[in-house]
Amino acid sequence: MAQHFEEKATIELLEINQLPVFNKPENYTVLPEVQELVDKIEAADGVVIATPEYDHSPTAALNNALAWLSYGVYPFVDKPVMVVGASYGTLGSSRAQLQLLQILEAPELQARTMPSSEFLLGNSLQAFDQDGNLVYEDKAEQLDGIFEDFLIFIEIIQQLPHSKEAMVKAAKNFNWENI
Amino acid sequence: MKLVGIVGSPAKKSYNRLLLQFIAKNYRDLIDLEVIDIDNIPLFNQSEDQTHTEPIQNLNRKIEAADGVIIATPEHNRTVPAGLKSVLEWLSFKIHPLENKPVLIVGASYYDQGTSRAQLHLRQILESPGVGAFAFPGNEFLLGKAKEAFDENNQLKDQGTVDFLRSVLEKFIRFVNIIQQIEGDKPAVLEPEDLNATGKGATTIEGIDMYAEDWVEQAAEKTEAVSGDTYVELDRGILTVDQLNHFLNSMPMELTFADDNNQFIYYNYHMEKDDMLASRHPSQVGNPLAACHPEAAHKNVAWVIQQLRAGQIDTFRIKVPTHGPDKFVVHSYKGIKDKNGQYIGVNEYVQDIQPIIDWYLEQTGQELVGGKTDGVSGASANDNNVDGVSGASENANDSATSVEADAVSGASENTSPAVPEVDTSSVDGVSGASENA
Repeated sequence: MAQHFEEKATIELLEINQLPVFNKPENYTVLPEVQELVDKIEAADGVVIATPEYDHSPTAALNNALAWLSYGVYPFVDKPVMVVGASYGTLGSSRAQLQLLQILEAPELQARTMPSSEFLLGNSLQAFDQDGNLVYEDKAEQLDGIFEDFLIFIEIIQQLPHSKEAMVKAAKNFNWENI
Repeated sequence: MKLVGIVGSPAKKSYNRLLLQFIAKNYRDLIDLEVIDIDNIPLFNQSEDQTHTEPIQNLNRKIEAADGVIIATPEHNRTVPAGLKSVLEWLSFKIHPLENKPVLIVGASYYDQGTSRAQLHLRQILESPGVGAFAFPGNEFLLGKAKEAFDENNQLKDQGTVDFLRSVLEKFIRFVNIIQQIEGDKPAVLEPEDLNATGKGATTIEGIDMYAEDWVEQAAEKTEAVSGDTYVELDRGILTVDQLNHFLNSMPMELTFADDNNQFIYYNYHMEKDDMLASRHPSQVGNPLAACHPEAAHKNVAWVIQQLRAGQIDTFRIKVPTHGPDKFVVHSYKGIKDKNGQYIGVNEYVQDIQPIIDWYLEQTGQELVGGKTDGVSGASANDNNVDGVSGASENANDSATSVEADAVSGASENTSPAVPEVDTSSVDGVSGASENA
């Protein structure tokens, strides 16, 4: 996507495999590797999350990153997010994406996920040519459309400023101890 | 019923751990629950396979051995914690201990929801083909407001909750039994054995030719092994190496140790090859098991070790009839396990049990009766109140018709000419083989 849409958007790929297993530490100060991700997400207009499917759900690594990115930091609040996924089989990470959309609704994430725009890429091993281009024409066309919409979706979300402050405040005040 | 309880929370202080500990303590009449933490298991990474590491293998063994599993999950971001998901990914990658395993999901959370969404996600994850567990349907147990739910002794305060939990567990037990019926007694698919010992166990001495005639000397030098009058602390006692040798050599049987890597590493050498019931030569020590047996026997040897390693059998016995009518030679292969039940090798002990049988008959005044090989003990039939051995001696007065034919012996078969020897087909396989070595 970064390559294919380079004229429309700058997409920087972030890897999340360097984070330790989330263990809900007490007296926590944000880890430098987490802060780096937070800064990049906060500076971005939107986020595209690509998830595989392991055991009918998003990977532990992604789940882990989201746990760190919602513990004392709130980069996803009000952030436009587009979910895509690829899988070896024919289902294209369908179940993982549904779980991920639910996860992104959690009180400390509160992302603005783009609705009704499911993009499932099955048979991913055969889906790309040597240059990394998508070989399935119908899929490429569908992705083009969804991505165009996502750019508009980002603009729309930017026009909905009324609740953002309240959302950020709610996320920050969200304290499991005080429920 | 043996269950394993997995604490899904990675936190040091966890109400889910408390909940499992409460279950383990308060429902002992129903289940035997071992609570396990998973905070020592790294994040799943398919390119850095750590399936073989001890924390994952430990979990694997415990789940395999259990009748069922209880998972207590917190809820993070409306789903299961990454640490728990990670464990399930390890347990659905190269190994699949949860396959066809009945699983009860419970959860505790700080607020009202009591992990409702995390439990639904967990259910979906457990039912994926890689995990393949049977998640117990219905009977949701959601413990909300966990902070107020326990008293200072970590007991659940609300009697209604305690009773409900009991009813859930009772139903889960029945569910486990039903699942076992659905699955039947499928033989587990066991890992193949490598009789060439090309792997590496925790105690494998590397860098020495296993086929070298002086493997023992070379290995002793490399490991700086102690010998002679040096004391060694054992459980329970202290002996010098010499004492240990003499002690093992005084055992009324031939002892052989092959380690978990299928390498022949010891026998109680005090007799020359030709005088032994199962001949061994000092130069053979160090050899892989494949070199100790002819090719034709490998399949049977591998089968026995596989069963022992998996704990399917404790001891495999076979009689070797090639020593003439005066002897009854039994080869026993006993799996050697450490305190955690981990397989560390096989103890093959070879004995002529005929003198023991003769002595027993002489002491009890019984004699073997030909033809009756149905394994009915006259001793216990005559007196229900006594056990095997002592009953026999009390029974000495009416000596005539006692037949002792237990699992080990088949003794009566061998001593009575009326019964043909029928069980020799498999003999060459394992033990005859070691004689050829």
